[in-house]
Amino acid sequence: MQRPDWAPETIDIERPSVARMYDYYLGGSHNFAADRAAAQAMVAAVPEAPLMAQANRAFLRRAVQFLTEAGVRQFLDIGSGIPTVGNVHEIARRTAPGSRVVYVDVDPVAVAHSREILAGDDHSVVVQEDLRHPERILAHPDVRGLLDLDEPVAVLVVAVLHFISDDDRPAEILGNLRDALAPGSHLVISQASDEGRDVEERGEAQRVYRRTDNPLWIRSRAELTAFFDGFELVEPGVVWVPQWRPEAPENAEDAERAVFLGGVGRLGG
Amino acid sequence: MAESAALRSPSRPGTFARAWAKAVGGTSFLPLTHAQLEALLQRLADQLAAALLAEPFDLRPGHRVGAELVANHIASAEGLGRTVEVVQLRLLRDLGLVGDDVEDRMARLLAAVATGYARALRDRTLDEQESIRRAVMMARTQAERALRESEARFRRQATHDSLTELPNRALFTERLTDALNEPGRGAQRIGLCFVDLDRFKVVNDSLGHQVGDRLLITVADRLRRALDGHLVARLGGDEFVILVERTGGTDDVVAVAEAALAAVREPALVDGHELVVTASIGIAERQVAGTTPSDLMRAADSTLHWAKAAGGARWEIFDAERNRRELARYALSAAIPPALERGEFYLDYQPLTSLRDGSLLGVEALVRWRHPELGVLRPGSFIGLAEETGLIVPLGGWVLAEACREAEGWSARGGRTPFVSVNLAVRQVHRPGLVQEVHGLLERTGLPPDRLQLEITESTMMSTTEEPVRALRGLADLGVRIAIDDFGTGYSNLAYLRDLPVTELKVAGEFVAGLRAPAADPGSRTDERILASLVSLAHALGLTVTAEGVETAGQAERLRAIGCDAGQGWHFGRPAPADRILERVG
Ligand SMILES: C[S@@+](CC[C@H](N)C(=O)[O-])C[C@H]1O[C@@H](n2cnc3c(N)ncnc32)[C@H](O)[C@@H]1O
Repeated sequence: MQRPDWAPETIDIERPSVARMYDYYLGGSHNFAADRAAAQAMVAAVPEAPLMAQANRAFLRRAVQFLTEAGVRQFLDIGSGIPTVGNVHEIARRTAPGSRVVYVDVDPVAVAHSREILAGDDHSVVVQEDLRHPERILAHPDVRGLLDLDEPVAVLVVAVLHFISDDDRPAEILGNLRDALAPGSHLVISQASDEGRDVEERGEAQRVYRRTDNPLWIRSRAELTAFFDGFELVEPGVVWVPQWRPEAPENAEDAERAVFLGGVGRLGG
Repeated sequence: MAESAALRSPSRPGTFARAWAKAVGGTSFLPLTHAQLEALLQRLADQLAAALLAEPFDLRPGHRVGAELVANHIASAEGLGRTVEVVQLRLLRDLGLVGDDVEDRMARLLAAVATGYARALRDRTLDEQESIRRAVMMARTQAERALRESEARFRRQATHDSLTELPNRALFTERLTDALNEPGRGAQRIGLCFVDLDRFKVVNDSLGHQVGDRLLITVADRLRRALDGHLVARLGGDEFVILVERTGGTDDVVAVAEAALAAVREPALVDGHELVVTASIGIAERQVAGTTPSDLMRAADSTLHWAKAAGGARWEIFDAERNRRELARYALSAAIPPALERGEFYLDYQPLTSLRDGSLLGVEALVRWRHPELGVLRPGSFIGLAEETGLIVPLGGWVLAEACREAEGWSARGGRTPFVSVNLAVRQVHRPGLVQEVHGLLERTGLPPDRLQLEITESTMMSTTEEPVRALRGLADLGVRIAIDDFGTGYSNLAYLRDLPVTELKVAGEFVAGLRAPAADPGSRTDERILASLVSLAHALGLTVTAEGVETAGQAERLRAIGCDAGQGWHFGRPAPADRILERVG
């Protein structure tokens, strides 16, 4: 679905958007009939879909909480989606009030919505860009204006990498981002996995997402771990998202039902 | 018992709040930690407990609790269902609440919670729907603006030159076309100036393209400023064009051209270099009716080349007559290669006759073109053109080969077989490989080398390079005769001839012409004396002398008297096909 640079995107709400489907899984109403129909098809194929989204969002919340406690004050949230509840700046500022956040998404509606929510907030900006062009994200004047890359930054690539195909070389993308970061920076990744799922289910899910602009690229634990190249994984490494520093041990029960694997890496040196 | 519930600190959730938290956890995404959720639900449980016991009984706290659940994102159908269930089953028991009508109150309070919840959820849903639709609208506006901007950028890129920001050829042509097609303007006049910087390439080559580019930007700015009100465009490279609309005659365009020349002439400071450049301008100006954009552009463009050819730093005005002549010449030169292929050229020969005994010594080959439309053309009408365009090389090569081929077949009927004399153009002599070419020709045709004479002009030798001298030596070594043609019209330096392997001088017809007048005429006598000393000098150098342009018996006689060796001209015979000349001799 690469669009030439000179051609602006069309905004077609008849076509399901992964950002709005995700909002639906989370119980939001920032979605349209086509989004709901696709999301319901997904739930029919994989009944855990809403649970996955919630578990992923909860992982994001705990990771941000962890990062602010580790002293990080700058966040680059790529594939940030429709801001609903528990946005990165809200979570971070609960612990560290001055935290600065850049939200990046390709979806123009998600971006417009984010801009409205964040209007008047001097410590956050919204940038419409594509993760597949990390150099453009890094060079974007709004990103440069808000973030000091000489200081640690947490890059969040949460529930997005499964929309990046192997042809787009995700490892290189992450490498480019890593090379721009100062020591003490962090990388947070989560993405859908098919570990322990049956092939048919996976096929169904992929069929649903082919209706959107973002087909699904499901990856293994090993592939996900390799994405942290150059980073030191913080405990407990790459795990089912509910297992990542749960608030209560029982929250991590049946963790594999969450389908998402995730982890946090720290850039040493 | 109610007191105990009311007094409990909100930070220490009781059994009920924990059970409630467990029930609603997972029904929708909650941005809260589990502890925060329990604390929240403890507070709401306390409010419900207080409401159950309050006098008078009031339903409003129920509405508030429902709304507050939604505000805290416990906002799904499941969240409500589980809440009703857990409150109904456990609230009274866990908090140990008792009272006469407490069951009744409970039912009504739960109904109020559900109502408050449903209302809040509905409002939230509507708000979210509204905000996402607004986002779509904003995104669309944004996308439309981006589209317009990219179209504008695209249009600008397509119509403007990115270096100088001037309109480009496409836009210029569009404007010119519009100006010519505008209804009711046929009687008006319009003009163009084609502007080209002189020797711009030198700037680029010596100072680099960056300086060159910056110079172009400066020139563009100046032209734009100096010619405010006229459309100035960059056609490419260092070529600009100015559209002058509604002119009253050529003077108006000349004034514009003068202004442009002045603007360019100002020294320009570029990167620390003070550059002085001049421009050449071609002007075309005419009535709108009956002209087309390409006519006008072409006219200004060829006029520009006249200005260049005249030395630059000037304007020239289009001249239809001159243009027509040039076009005809151009057409003629373009026709040479196909004519060669189709065999439209042929040779005539003119005798070179001994003044001593009247015998035929040789013949000069003269090329003719049997042009399909123009008839037979003499060399005068196309050799100059062929020399300019370089086509003389193939044409001269053909003449040489054809002359050798024909001459080989001639036989002497009593007496020596005449040699054939062929003109070589400067370019032919300067080309490496001439000696080999001639050598090859002699071998192929079997013509003895001493039956070939090559005529070169003095100017051929006026070269600073060694090439021509080396070529002459090589030719002489083959045994070929070498003549200097048109001697006397150029540099006429006999001294350098000493060192060259030349065998003959051909004296130009101008000198011979003087001998037509009666011998008593003083001018005629002077010419005769000059010729006489020329002949004796040539003889001293071991050269024979042929006089060109001999038209009368008197001339021939006087030339013989001063010792001239041979003559050529009408008196001895006009150019004609070889067999006619040979049969006359035989
Ligand atoms: C499932 S949402 C995740 C939202 C948020 N990161 C979270 O985990 O809660 C995925 C988001 O990634 C965005 N996305 C997909 N492909 C992207 C790309 N190539 N570059 C940037 N964003 C992308 C989608 O528009 C969508 O908003």
